[in-house]
Amino acid sequence: MSAILEAKNLSKSFKNFKVVDSLSFAIGKGEVYGFLGQNGAGKSTTMRMLLGLMFPDSGSIYIDGTEFNNSRRHLLKNIGAIIERPDMYGYLTGWENLRMFAALSGKKVLPAELHEVLEIVGLKGREKDKVRAYSQGMKQRLGIAIAMIHEPGLLILDEPTNGLDPQGITDIRNLIRSLSRDHGKTILVSSHLLYEVEQVATSIIIIHKGKKIAEGTVSELLHPDDTLIEITIEQGGALQAQISNSAWGKFAVQSDARILTFKMNPALIPELNKWLVEKNVAVYGINTRHSFESYFLNLTNETTAADRTV
Amino acid sequence: MRQLLQIELFKIFKRPRTYISFGIVTAISLVIQLAMLTDGKSYMGFAMQGLNEQFDIHGNIINGYFITYIILQSLLIQIPLLIALVAGDTLAGEANQGTLRLMLTKPISRNKLVFVKFASSFIYTVALIIWLAIMTLFLSLLIFGKGDMINLKSDTFIMILQDDIMWRYAAAFGFALLAMTTIASLSLLLSAFADNSIGPIIATMGIVVVLTILSNLDLPLFNHIKPFLFTSHMIGWKGFFDDPIPYAAIAQSAFVLVVYTVGFVAITMLYFNKKDIKS
Amino acid sequence: MRRKVCLLGFILCAALQAQATDATKLFDSLRNKILLVKDYSAEVKMKINVRFMRIPELSGTLYFKSPDKMRLERHGGLSILPKKNNSLMLRNLIPPGHATVIDAGITTIAGKSVRLIKIVPDDENSDIVLTKIWIDEQQLLAVRTETATRTQGTLVMDLEYGRYISYGLPDHVTLTMDVKDFKMPKGVTMDYMESSEVKPSEDAKGKKGTIQIRYLSYEINKGISDDLFKER
Repeated sequence: MSAILEAKNLSKSFKNFKVVDSLSFAIGKGEVYGFLGQNGAGKSTTMRMLLGLMFPDSGSIYIDGTEFNNSRRHLLKNIGAIIERPDMYGYLTGWENLRMFAALSGKKVLPAELHEVLEIVGLKGREKDKVRAYSQGMKQRLGIAIAMIHEPGLLILDEPTNGLDPQGITDIRNLIRSLSRDHGKTILVSSHLLYEVEQVATSIIIIHKGKKIAEGTVSELLHPDDTLIEITIEQGGALQAQISNSAWGKFAVQSDARILTFKMNPALIPELNKWLVEKNVAVYGINTRHSFESYFLNLTNETTAADRTV
Repeated sequence: MRQLLQIELFKIFKRPRTYISFGIVTAISLVIQLAMLTDGKSYMGFAMQGLNEQFDIHGNIINGYFITYIILQSLLIQIPLLIALVAGDTLAGEANQGTLRLMLTKPISRNKLVFVKFASSFIYTVALIIWLAIMTLFLSLLIFGKGDMINLKSDTFIMILQDDIMWRYAAAFGFALLAMTTIASLSLLLSAFADNSIGPIIATMGIVVVLTILSNLDLPLFNHIKPFLFTSHMIGWKGFFDDPIPYAAIAQSAFVLVVYTVGFVAITMLYFNKKDIKS
Repeated sequence: MRRKVCLLGFILCAALQAQATDATKLFDSLRNKILLVKDYSAEVKMKINVRFMRIPELSGTLYFKSPDKMRLERHGGLSILPKKNNSLMLRNLIPPGHATVIDAGITTIAGKSVRLIKIVPDDENSDIVLTKIWIDEQQLLAVRTETATRTQGTLVMDLEYGRYISYGLPDHVTLTMDVKDFKMPKGVTMDYMESSEVKPSEDAKGKKGTIQIRYLSYEINKGISDDLFKER
């Protein structure tokens, strides 16, 4: 797999505060690369460096094997990006914004293509409205339209689902999947939410305080066998010993009076449930969460998206 | 490059704020014209007190040419603000809006962007000066008619024959354009340093006001630095209404303004090329 | 001997008397000649040389009506005349009414021998205190006057004649007068350059100013309406 984007030992400080610290990673062609980290971990700074908005203190970036800062303009022709908020010219219409940035993209874009991309991002019919009147979600969609209008091979999307409603989030997710699957784009997508990234990404990197703390493919990092299964019961007591002595003992992680926790493949849940019923244990609820997610959540102290009931 | 310039101009002239300047120029011109229409005689009486004791001056003193000069003189402080309103916003405003980072993720060289920002500010300045000429000169001539022009300096009374005036105004507006281009380049420079547009606009005005005061203070201490302040040279357009016209001084002033303009733009490029876009 | 002295004295007195009488006569006939012109309009070119004034040569029509109305019409342009513009007229530099005329002898101006007379008006309230007139006796023309006034300082007028000699109207007049300086606050005018860097023309040094008028053509005693002189 040849790397379309490669960062080597990137470091960046602001006033003696190291925001990105010797960060290295590589993105293969066609990959959807999840860039994960809590807010302030250095994701945006890294992405800005990848786009030439900021200059690394040290380290280098290669795109298609070419050193980025030496041929920034040439390489940017093949990159589309959204960085942080999707800010546009509010006093211009969506169409005017799109047409303008298309003109700046270095590729001749036909009006038909503009219409097509508006159709794709779901803004058709609203393109004549001033962007000022757009919702956050509509701006985000327009931002994505601008990022992809010149059909770049590499898309760098910084928190693209920020501020979107659930439907919007699903739409963007599907769009990313489709861009990767149907159009062969390489996509670097950042988020502070693991579950958002895990659904679209093929590989994930987690950075914390500017440093890489984990990297790997989704199948490696999110192996089903590492799923945490929490079962809420009426009361524990003697059950603990029965579990330890059963085949389930090797999966048991920790237990308290009312919650039993197992680390195992979710495929085994029906069987476990059946076993519990046979033992006359009343099951009030079953939660699943990946251990990697727990690890990430602990790291980021992020609790909002903690429990998702299956 | 042409496309980038077109886009910049599109952005400038699509924006309501741009037309505020044209409105302000119109308003100030009309207010002064109205004031001179009603109170011009007493204003002149006051201004020419010393002269009226000795000479009888008759005819259409308060004519279009004279009014234009009065308006231009009083707009000296305001016009830079109007230039800064747009030029100071070119980089900082985009940084503030967040559009700058989107712009710079496109394959555009930063030098080119700065140059185009300068060029579009210049074109805006040209448009504003042309509008100024229409509102002051042509409208004043329409309202007050033609006539020989009186120009009062602190110690000189100058009269210019009416057939000899138009070309002076053409030259004066040309010079004013140069002076305002210097302001535009200063605003652009300040704009590169800032991430909000109020800062550069206020800073431009602050610099212009302070330096204008220094340029006009008649103190020996400042006399040595005056020739190096661009504000001392900004009123070079007045030279075209002097007799004889101090061509050498005007040329020198124009040179100083060009040097400042080129300097400001060059520093903007140097700085902006290395700037981390944090907005 | 005594009678001889007496006679000599008498003759001397008589001579002086005769001289005074001649001077008065000369003055009266000059004044009468000047007063013959009741009105005129003249195409003129006027140049004002005052240290603090930069005024190009002005062309226009100068209207005069006896006794003291004057107006410069510049056909849409501005007209500038001295405040007491009657001083531009020879007739107003000469005391009106009774006056004591003193003969000051023969002198030369521009190579021409002329008679200088001094006139002191009898009217003590007159603005004119003393007028000296240099007269070309042959043609009965004043070629120079110097008038000391109470309110306007000293006014000197040099006159050159040509085509309108019969009316005693000059082709060229230079009036030299006292001028007060002119100052305005720099904060108001916001000057571009110090005017001192601009050299004043040679003949306008100091506190004296001159007004030169070239009369290109006259229309004399054709009658001019008073309306023409009303403030417009």
